[in-house]
Amino acid sequence: MSITVALPSKGRLKEQTLDVLAKAGLAVSLPSDERKYHAHVEGREDIEVAFLSASEIAGEIGQGAVDLGVTGEDLVRETLTDWEQRAEIVARLGFGHADVVVAVPDVWLDVDSMADLDDVAADFRHRHGRRLRIATKYWRLTQQFFSGKHGIQVYRIVESLGATEGAPAAGSADVIVDITSTGSTLRANRLKVLADGVVLRSQACLVASRKERGAKAEALVAEIAAKVRTATGG
Amino acid sequence: MTSRPAIAIDIAKLFAERGALPVDVPVLQPADPFLDMAGEDLRRRIFLTESETGHTLCLRPEFTIPVCLDHIASQAGTPRRYAYLGEVFRQRREGANEFFQAGIEDLGDRDTARADARSVADAHALISLALPGRALTVTLGDQAVFEAVLAALGLPRGWRMRLARAFGSDAMLETALADLANPPRNGQLDGAVALLAADGDGEGLATHIATEMEQAGLSASAGRTPADIARRLIEKVQLRSVRLSDDAFAALKSFLAIDAPLAGAASALEKFAADAHLSLGEALEKFAARADAIAAHGLGADTVRYDAAFGRPLDYYTGLVFEIAATGNSPRVLAGGGRYDRLLTLLGAKTPIPGVGFSVWLDRIEALREALS
Repeated sequence: MSITVALPSKGRLKEQTLDVLAKAGLAVSLPSDERKYHAHVEGREDIEVAFLSASEIAGEIGQGAVDLGVTGEDLVRETLTDWEQRAEIVARLGFGHADVVVAVPDVWLDVDSMADLDDVAADFRHRHGRRLRIATKYWRLTQQFFSGKHGIQVYRIVESLGATEGAPAAGSADVIVDITSTGSTLRANRLKVLADGVVLRSQACLVASRKERGAKAEALVAEIAAKVRTATGG
Repeated sequence: MTSRPAIAIDIAKLFAERGALPVDVPVLQPADPFLDMAGEDLRRRIFLTESETGHTLCLRPEFTIPVCLDHIASQAGTPRRYAYLGEVFRQRREGANEFFQAGIEDLGDRDTARADARSVADAHALISLALPGRALTVTLGDQAVFEAVLAALGLPRGWRMRLARAFGSDAMLETALADLANPPRNGQLDGAVALLAADGDGEGLATHIATEMEQAGLSASAGRTPADIARRLIEKVQLRSVRLSDDAFAALKSFLAIDAPLAGAASALEKFAADAHLSLGEALEKFAARADAIAAHGLGADTVRYDAAFGRPLDYYTGLVFEIAATGNSPRVLAGGGRYDRLLTLLGAKTPIPGVGFSVWLDRIEALREALS
């Protein structure tokens, strides 16, 4: 019997994840060949490690293809329908901090809050013959925030797969919902975050799949979760 | 495909007796009009697909928009009443994803009281046909009356728009009222801008904004224009010093609490207006004319109620909204309808075409019929 833990396959996120696991006494013995995507936790034949791209990990957890994974909270909430029924955040890891925010052009001097944006969106169709457009890769989070939390119905989402912050200047959208860690990219593009426009404060998390598993596997998941929580002081 | 409900033949006869033309629209529809009209929230509740040429299509989630689009495309004359009965497709947590709806869309009748009343009566007749002997309750609301109250209270335009949008959602209305009683603080404006805004200098402000837009590489015409921003900023600065008065707040509360049998609803509104020293003008006359027209269809005073707080937060509804439920332990809405005078223009009609219509959930009716038999 073994369980599978999915980890980010590259970059800073991978390094920081491996550091946290080592601190938790779960050091990963990396394969000698960098191109291999499978590994083990040292001395633990019962914990397999799969390196996947960060964006895939949430989906794999949701489908129960892996037992545990390290990924951003934003991706879990965005990728999975009813995520709480399929996954559980068992530890927040203290790195990979990023906020998902609503940002509008600086020059919208009259817009500071979501209530302002609601006014603007309602008036927009009447003045411009189209709905206000929001560029984002976060369809689900945007809908939940705008329609669910703030009761704003009339806007259109335009999919943006990169350089979302450039969309207003490119004329492909009016507003953006995007991720920011320091805000510098937004400032460089002359965008401002609305006062109540933080959709989610995200960070890297250890996430468990809520799939059915045996008592031994369940105990193993709980053990890893507890060790990681201790290592991250959570 | 789920099978056509047995009652469909009788419903078709009823439509014919009532002079509504049967209309058929394709199951596969362009998705944009639905998302534009109902909002992005609809996206996760419909079945989307893409054509080879990159157009986003969906399985029709309802009939009103396709019927109106079809009417515009055919350039048919008005007035005209379209009847439909067919499947609609929605992603739902519970229940089937495809189910039957039937209804009538009444386009172009300028006598709105008559058309409204006929719509309510048609919906009531359809459900009575399917559920003979079952007691039904009709609940009416009126967007126009609510907007007339806001106007009569002398509320500034920005506030009226905000409240009118929240109409029909208790939570949104509460939030909006709380904001108006105690406006949230605005962000700081820099000195020059603050001065221009305080002076109400729209042109000066627009010039300033245009310069900033150019520096930011924003098009001055593709989205919000400098004039749009200037106008709203001035409006906002003016509103900052205004509070919703206690009197106005109390009047709104007592209006929203009105819930009366239709026969007494017009006089309840008159009494409210007199007590609050307001004149509701044309909206009240139209309301009374409609109430009379509904009564003339023989819908008893105990069947139809007016609930002043009942509305739908969609911006194309303009007047009457209604729903019909079976009276009983677990009342369930069986039909919904309303007047959507703005919809056809939004969908591209060259001239304004008034419209009113209703839709009946045949799956819910079938479930009730099965429970009875």
